[in-house]
This record gives sequence, C-alpha cells and structure tokens, in this order.
Amino acid sequence: MTTVSGGGPGGATPLVRLRGLSKKFGDVAAVQPLDLDIFAGDFFALLGPSGCGKTTLLRMVGGFTPPSTGTVEIDGQDVTRLGPEQRPTNMVFQGYGLFPHMTVRQNIGYGLRIAKASDAEIAERVGAIMTLVRIGELAERRPDALSGGQAQRVALARALVMRPRVLLLDEPLAALDLKLRKQMQEELRRIHQSIGGTFVFVTHDQGEAMGLANRIAVMEAGACVQEGGPEEIYLRPKTRFVSSFIGEANMLAGERRGGTVTLRAGIAFTDAGPDGPVVLVVRPEAIRLDGGTAGLGTTGRLDDVVFLGPYVRYRVTLASGEEIAAHSADTGRRAGMAVGAAVQIGWEAADHRVVAGT
Amino acid sequence: MARIAWGAYSGIIVLFMLTPLVLVVLFSFTDNALTNFPINAFSLHWYRILDANPEFWKAFENSLKVSLGVTLISTVIGTMAAMVLARWRERLANAALLALAAPVTLPALVIGIALLVFFNKVGVPLSLATVIAGHLVITQPFVILIVYARMVNFDYAAVDSARDLGASPWRAFWTVTFPIVSSTVIGAALIALAISLDDFIITFFTIGGGNTLPTFVWGKVRTYLDPSINAIGTILITLTVGSTAIALWISRYRG
Repeated sequence: MTTVSGGGPGGATPLVRLRGLSKKFGDVAAVQPLDLDIFAGDFFALLGPSGCGKTTLLRMVGGFTPPSTGTVEIDGQDVTRLGPEQRPTNMVFQGYGLFPHMTVRQNIGYGLRIAKASDAEIAERVGAIMTLVRIGELAERRPDALSGGQAQRVALARALVMRPRVLLLDEPLAALDLKLRKQMQEELRRIHQSIGGTFVFVTHDQGEAMGLANRIAVMEAGACVQEGGPEEIYLRPKTRFVSSFIGEANMLAGERRGGTVTLRAGIAFTDAGPDGPVVLVVRPEAIRLDGGTAGLGTTGRLDDVVFLGPYVRYRVTLASGEEIAAHSADTGRRAGMAVGAAVQIGWEAADHRVVAGT
Repeated sequence: MARIAWGAYSGIIVLFMLTPLVLVVLFSFTDNALTNFPINAFSLHWYRILDANPEFWKAFENSLKVSLGVTLISTVIGTMAAMVLARWRERLANAALLALAAPVTLPALVIGIALLVFFNKVGVPLSLATVIAGHLVITQPFVILIVYARMVNFDYAAVDSARDLGASPWRAFWTVTFPIVSSTVIGAALIALAISLDDFIITFFTIGGGNTLPTFVWGKVRTYLDPSINAIGTILITLTVGSTAIALWISRYRG
C-alpha cells in the first residue's frame, strides 16, 4: 500500500483506515482483502465499472454490510462490529431513500429527533443546512413532489445535518441527467469546500471522479488496482485496465527482452523491467503529427479527421494494423492534412507508460 | 341494440343477486310477523326483540371476541411473515406463498372437519380459542399475500437511511417501515376481520358450545323462522361490507 500525495499531511493518522477488508457473498468474492487510508478533508472516489465491488466496500464502511475479514477504523476507533447507527458516518443512498411519509423538513430533522436534540436546535440546524444546499423553499413538500435533483439535495442535507466525520455517497449523481449532473458536481465541490468535511463516494464515471475527487481508488473485480491523485492515475496508470478506464488511451502491443521494448508497430526503445509481453500506453493528446523532433515515432496512414471544437481528432492506422488516435488543439492545421495520405506520428518517451500484459 | 341487450342482461343478474339482500334489510325495519308483503309499518320492532334476547348478546360478544382476536393475530403474524418472504429469492417466496395459501383453495367443510378431528386427537377442548385458531387458517393467507405484494416493491434504502441516521432496528421499523406500509396492513387486517366475522362452517365445527352470530342465525332458522334474523342479517351485512369498504379505501385498492 503506497500512501500517496494529495492526501493528508505525510505521517498523519488517516481518518478512515481499512485493513485486510474483504467480503464474500457465498463463493463470490465481491471485495478482495484490501488496505485503504482516507485522510481528513479528502474528497475520495471509489471508481470502477459496475460489479467491481465499490458499493459493497462503501457499505462496509457505513456498517450496512458486515465484512468477511478485516477491520474498519474511523478516527482511531475500531467500528468493524458496530451498526450504522453507531458509526460517525452518514450515507447518501443511490435511490436517496427519502421517507415518503414526511415532509422535506421532517426528513432532514429525522436524525436529530432520534438523537433527542432540542426543538430549537433541530429548527436551527435544519434551517442552516437547507440554506447550504439551497432547498429552503421546499421545506414543506413531500418527497413525491420533488424532482430528481431536489431529492438529491434533500438526501444530502439529511446526511450532512448530522455533521458526520465521513460522508458516504453511493453513485450520488447517477440518476440525474447530464446538465443536472454537472450542476450537482459543482454544488458538491462547493459544499465540500465550505464545510471542509471528508467525503467518500462511489462512481463508475471517470469524469465524475476526476472532476470531484482529490484522491481516487480504481477498483477492478473486487480489488483496488491503483490509488492516487487524479493526475497520477491519468498520467501514470499502473495497469492496462486503469489506462483504458480513465480517459482515452492508445495501446500498442510489444515485447520486452533484456531491457529493450520492441513494439509490433516497429518502434524500439530501452525500458528497464522484466521480460515478457508489454503494452505501451500513450494518451491521444501526447501524439504529434509530423512532429519531426518527437522522441519516438513511426509512419501511418491518416484515416479520419474530425473537428470537435476545442481540438481536432485524427485517426491513423499503422503498418502493424493498430490504430492511433491523436488530439491536436491546433485546429487550423487540419487544412493541410489529406485523408489517405502517409503521416509521421510521434511522442516523447516521458509521455508514455509501459505496462506488463497483452 | 346489442348494448341495450347487454345492459338489460347485466341489470337482471345484479337484481337477481342483490334482491335477497335488499329484502333482508327492508324487512328488518318492519313489524311484520312474517317476512312477506305487504309491509304493515316501518319500525325497529325486530331490533328491540333482539336487544331483549340474552342469547343474541352472547353470540354478538363471541363474534366480536373471535373476529378481533383473529384480526390481531393474523395481522401481526401475517405481516411479519410477509416481510421475511419479501426478502427471499422470488422463486422460493412464490413456492412458500403457494403452500401458505393452500387452505384458501380447500372447501371450508374439509377444513372444518379436519380441524375438529385434529383438536379431538390432540385433546384440545373446543372453545372460542379453537374457533380463532380455525379462522386463522383461512385469514392468514390473505394477510400474507396482501402485505407481501406491498413489501416486494418496498424501498429498503429508506430503512437503511433511518438506521444510518441513528435509529435502532426497532425504532426504524416504527418510524419508517410501518408508517409507509400501514395503509396496506390496516387494509389486510380489515379483510381478515370481514372473513372471520361471517364464517359459519369452520366456526360450527370448532366452537363446541355457544354461538357466534352466524351459528346463532342458523340455530334460529332450524327452530323458528322469526324475522329477527333479518335484523341480525342487516347487522352482519353492515359490519362486513363496512369493514371491507374501509379496507379497500384505506389500501387504495382499484380493481
């Protein structure tokens, strides 16, 4: 387990510490034993395709799913055996789970009423949180009279009013349409900044993870395959899966022998590491066309040019039959490019990653 | 033309089915000595006769004890069963529901005789308690089926939220789960009440001594056909139709 930059100060005690945590449903391992540290103030994303175990992991932190092995520590306290009502966490559920028989105000005040707060305190805290998430005018409505975005805000307010040490969010934006999703994304950032809390959320949308989180754990088949800041995960993916899941990536097959990597596309360079099949990963925006001075390169046939506004997307087929996508912000240059013509492509060695595998 | 014919046909059938009931209610409010036309005068004569009859009041009391007992027990147990079944895998739950609903498909006569033989063999003396047990056999499936149908569509995220916000499982049930499904549970309870209230056959085989309203009526029919049974009939109709109507209204049943 590497503890990565972007999190809490080096050497600080993590707020949430997972050790050897796993979950099996029957014979199926939903989450394989993993360690994870989340620091105070983090906006932490659990990112992965559906069925990768990210929601199960979140539910284990919240106390809804008892783990098969391992421990959950929050704020230095072992909470593994505690139910959700005894943990300093609150959760925003994917379907929101609003109480249909209560008004918005009653929904948000529910947790404080259970905690036997005074009427004055409930009124004050509920009012303040409704202002924070901007739903003051909905106070007397019932959940069935709310839109998706409004229901989302109510669910958020209901959890935040409890002032959780850790706020857990299960696919918080999945049910919203694209425009609303962008809005809520900014809203979540604003709220996170203004209260300075610790948020942990589950998502299958890499754009959402990149846009919200300061740290991301990428999960695949119940395992955490890489964890770090968005930049690190984007620029230095550890596996082929991570590179293909986060953003768009060109993959070129090759083999490493004695510290030299030879690609099927006919490019060779030195790169230390164990012998065996490898994949070279390079982002489309790192590819240069007719660059001349690029560190690595080859020729190919230009197959397609698409103007996409801020950038132009080129598709090039190499002699090996592999396709390369290149994005260029220099949108004027496409005038001189003829589809079907031979083009020189290249990139700097610092912009690619070589990962083991085929 | 065809529409008018169909309308008339339907009208005749409805008339055929409702006329006896209408007559029962009508004659209960007359002072005729026999159930026949012409009507002398409208009065509460037969209700007064009933009021003066201690056997009627005993039967009425027994009916209330049995019906309310059956309602309470079948609602509590049926709701708990339905909640568990709703969390089972669908195929397994359907098999269990089929098995639990089996008594409803049997003739009441068979159930009545089977219960009588069973109570005899086991050595349980017949009483109102055995009547309640007998009624549960047929009311329980209704409660389970009705509540189950509600629980399979239940949003458990609301209950998870309640737990998350600090409620114990018990507290979460009473503040969230039950208020959400209460209309269904009350509806199911009133249907159980209606079934129990007018059951004759199972009551007849399992009561031993004494009467409930339906067996009291039967006894009167055997000895002397006295128009006071019209009054009893009207009371039973009011209670069963009333509770069923309330049940359907509360549970928002729409066909």
